[in-house]
Order: sequence, then structure tokens, then C-alpha cells
Amino acid sequence: MSADHVSLVDVNNFYVACERAFDYSLRNRPVVVLSNNDGCVVARSQEAKDLGIPTGEPFFKIQRYMDSHNLAVRSSNYELYGDMSARVMELLGRFGTWHEVYSIDESFVGLEGNLEQVRSTAAQIRAAIDKTIGVPVCVGVSSTKTLAKLANHIAKHNPGLGGVCVQQLMDPEVLGSIMNRVPVTDVWGVGRKTGAKLAAMGIETIADLQAADPLAIRKKFSVVLQRTVFELNGQRCIGPVEERADRGQVMFTRSFSTPVRTYEAMEEVMSIYAQKAASRLASEGRYASLLTVTAGTSRFARGEASFPSAQVRLPRPTRDPILLSKLAIAAMRDLMQPGMDYVRGGVILSGLSDTPGEQQLDLFGQNVDPAAQEQENVSSVVQDISLRFGAKSIGLGHAGLARSPEWSMKREHISQRYTTDWDELLVVRA
Amino acid sequence: MAEDQELMPPGATQGPVQAVSAMGFPSPARDYFDGGLDLNRLLVRDRVSTFIMRVSGHAMQSAGIFDGDEVIVDRSLSVRHGSVVIVNLNGQMLVRRWQIDGQQVGLLSDESPLPVILAEGDEVSVFGVITRCLHHVR
Repeated sequence: MSADHVSLVDVNNFYVACERAFDYSLRNRPVVVLSNNDGCVVARSQEAKDLGIPTGEPFFKIQRYMDSHNLAVRSSNYELYGDMSARVMELLGRFGTWHEVYSIDESFVGLEGNLEQVRSTAAQIRAAIDKTIGVPVCVGVSSTKTLAKLANHIAKHNPGLGGVCVQQLMDPEVLGSIMNRVPVTDVWGVGRKTGAKLAAMGIETIADLQAADPLAIRKKFSVVLQRTVFELNGQRCIGPVEERADRGQVMFTRSFSTPVRTYEAMEEVMSIYAQKAASRLASEGRYASLLTVTAGTSRFARGEASFPSAQVRLPRPTRDPILLSKLAIAAMRDLMQPGMDYVRGGVILSGLSDTPGEQQLDLFGQNVDPAAQEQENVSSVVQDISLRFGAKSIGLGHAGLARSPEWSMKREHISQRYTTDWDELLVVRA
Repeated sequence: MAEDQELMPPGATQGPVQAVSAMGFPSPARDYFDGGLDLNRLLVRDRVSTFIMRVSGHAMQSAGIFDGDEVIVDRSLSVRHGSVVIVNLNGQMLVRRWQIDGQQVGLLSDESPLPVILAEGDEVSVFGVITRCLHHVR
């Protein structure tokens, strides 16, 4: 009788792995990838971790390592990471009985068979991704998602396992000592705050949480943490996961490379971000009922600060880029103070649903407002084109500019978009 | 390119040709039109493992690969004797023909009649096998 197992597959140091897949000079040396606008470190190679560079470290603080330790620095190349992620996810889908994408570099995959067969499938997954896509993954297998996460953690921190860990096949003594040693905050879903509260109750390690009374945990914390306790004991009770980038909202917020001061420049920002968010909704087949706009001056700037933010309840669930862009511009215009140096801005769409709002129809089933109908048609054409030819192929007004406006992201250390842009292919010597 | 564009009537595009009937008489071919020839179906065996690179240099012309061409690389294929591959040799990305002679592996190009035999200490890593070359005829 074959059993169903849960595996968690994730790419090791994903952003760095994508860079290294094409640029061999980045191998065997410390590499970091910087956040939007080259602000701070968001991803590190193992060598960079060994240097003691923490995540979130501002770029200027690590610049000295570029000379002293041959540290390589890259700006975030989202086009590349997105494409590589899609490849990994598609390949994983071919191996599993089911597949849930959890984040850009992590997936839960259902595997069938006895434990030995599952171990061999896990090893095959790892080898296939390494060969055909060129990035290293670790695979953790167990009976529940929480334990699969733990098994993955063990695979990652024990190179001797070859990147694969099937929890049930582990030596019980070794497993026990890990459970008794690893802090409870390393368990999936246990944050720092919960961890502190647990510690106060004497629950410090994974083994402690596993042995905790589920009812007491539910009373003191939540049903969510109670489920974690059940899952640590092999009882599957966490259903399909939503993608971690919060499926509840679509967000476009970025830092600008040069401050935005005028109404006109801010309109440009809002218009472009609203359209990007709308096109993301279209690709996911969803509609928003709430629009939020935000902007902010630098936290480090002297003098007056301004952090305008407004929410607009939409007349009906929509993903119409024209409507969203108009509303975002209007809302921000009311709030911003021209002359201030805004360094951030964003558009967030939330209250998402899978169906559009009811349109008002007249007796003959015609749209009441012909102008609204026309707008709907233009919007869907814009959406179709940007889905088919990419986000930069078409846009309304400001977003139609082929050249990026000057406030757009600073990416001074970006690698080529090897897989998404014909002008940036890797050049090979013949 | 510029002269190509001059030859095209204004507003014409170079997309797949589709039968359009302005009158009420429907084209008898309409029900059979399925989107035309999709080059992806011909050129890309598996999207997951396919990468495209641009060639610079003249040393692989005997394999039909010329300066400025794009090559389609499939990482999932195994390298055999005679495969034309993208290989990283000591830090440089090269297009070469893979030669196996007993225990020895060599990289062949038009630069010399004999393959460059890989020696101990060489850092060699095959990126993938080239399946197609998109040659620019003009």
C-alpha cells in the first residue's frame, strides 16, 4: 500500500543561485544580492554568510568586503529570478501528485510510494533541477507540512545528507537530539513573539512544543499554533497553503532612486504602479475592492516628514487599470505636499475576489453607461497585450514610456536579463 | 531592416496571415485556422530546460554556427561524443564540439584540426547541449 508523503523543496540561496547559473565567476566566492534601489542585502551566498554579513545590512557597510574578500554584489534582477522560479515550479509539478507554490523559491510537493521510493524521488527532483535549470535545491520529506519544513531544514544544515532528508528514515536518536536542540522559533509558523511567549512557559525547543498540550496551546495562543503541535506529531491538519507573498493583496511599493517632489512626478508613479498592480490581478484572474495609496519621505531626512496614505473603497470589485490609475492619482493628489522629498510610493490592491462586481444592466441587458463599457473594453485590450507581450509592451499615458522615468529603481549592479530580453542574452565565444 | 519596412504598405504587420472577410461571406478556411506555425513548438522541446545565447566569434562555422547567431541550448540532454555544447572552460563560456577518445575529453573548434585535450587542473563545466542555431541570413 503506497502512502502519500509531503515534501518541501526549496532553492538554496535562490537569488544568488540564479546569478551563478549564468555567471560562473560568482561561484566559490561571497555574493550578495541587494534590495530594491540597491539599499540593503536581501540574499547571501554561503560564503557571504560565513563572512558574517547579515540580511538587511545596508550596502555601504559591506562595500569594504568587495576589495578585502572579493565580495561580488548584484542588484535584484527580478526578471531573471521570476523566470527561473517559473522553471523550477513547472518541473516540480511533473514530479508530484500535488503541488503548492509557497513562495518564489519554495514549494510543497506530494510524493507517493514507500519511504525508500520517496527518498529516491526526492533525490531525482534534486538532480533534475540541478541539471536542467542549474540551481541547487534541498528536499525535506515527512508526513506533514510542518515536519517536511523541519526535514528540509535538517537537509540544508547537514551537507552529508546530499540535500535530501526523509524524516522517517532518520536515526531516531539523531532526530531526537536535533528536536531537543533546535529552538522553537525554527518551526514553520512560529515567530519571534510567539517564541518569546513560549519560552516563558518553558517551551524552548521543537521537542518541547511537540510534547505540549494542544488544548492549552490553543487556549493560550491560537488554533493555528495548536495545528502546529498536531503537525509536529505527524497529524496532517494544515490545508492548502496560500502563496506567502500574501494572496490577500497585490502590492507595488518601491523606493525611488531620485526623490519625487511634484504632483506631476507623483502622478506618474501612481499611474504606473496602479497599472502594474491591475495587470498582476488580471494574470491571477482576480478583482480588488479596496485601493490603498502610500508615499513617504525618508526616515533619515531632517526636518518635516510626510507619510500620506489613503484607502479608496472601489464602487465594485475591479481590475480596470484606467479606473485604478485615476483613483490612485486623485487620492494621492489630495494628500501629498509638493516640495517634500518623497522617496517611496506604492499602490496596494486588497479585498480580492475571484469575480467582478455586478454591472448595472438596463432592461435590454445593455450597459447603462456606454462610456463605462468603452473603458472596460480599452482596459481589457491593455491587459491582453501586457499579458501576451510583457508589462513594458503597452501602457496608458506615463506607463507607456519605453524609457524608465528617472525616479524608477536604481539597479547599478544588475546582471543581464539572460532569459527574458533578446538584447541581454548571454554572449558565448565561438 | 529599414528597407524591409519601406517595402511594407503602411499599417501592415508581419504577423501570421489570417483570413479576414469584410463581406458577409465567411472564409471557408476559418474553421481550420489554428493560429499558424508556432516556432516555439518547433524549436523548444521543453521550456524548462531551454536557454538561448548569442554567439560571438568565427571558430564554429563548420558546425553551422556564425558570429552573431543565437543558439538554442537544452540543458536536459546528455553530452555525447560530437555534441556541440556550451562549456565553461576556466571561466570562459565557449561553444565547442565535445570529443571523447577513450578516457580523454577534448574540445574541438575550427581554430585547430585537433581538439584541445582537457587536462587535470582545467575547470570544465558543461552548461548544455546546443540543439538549434538561429542563423542570420541577412
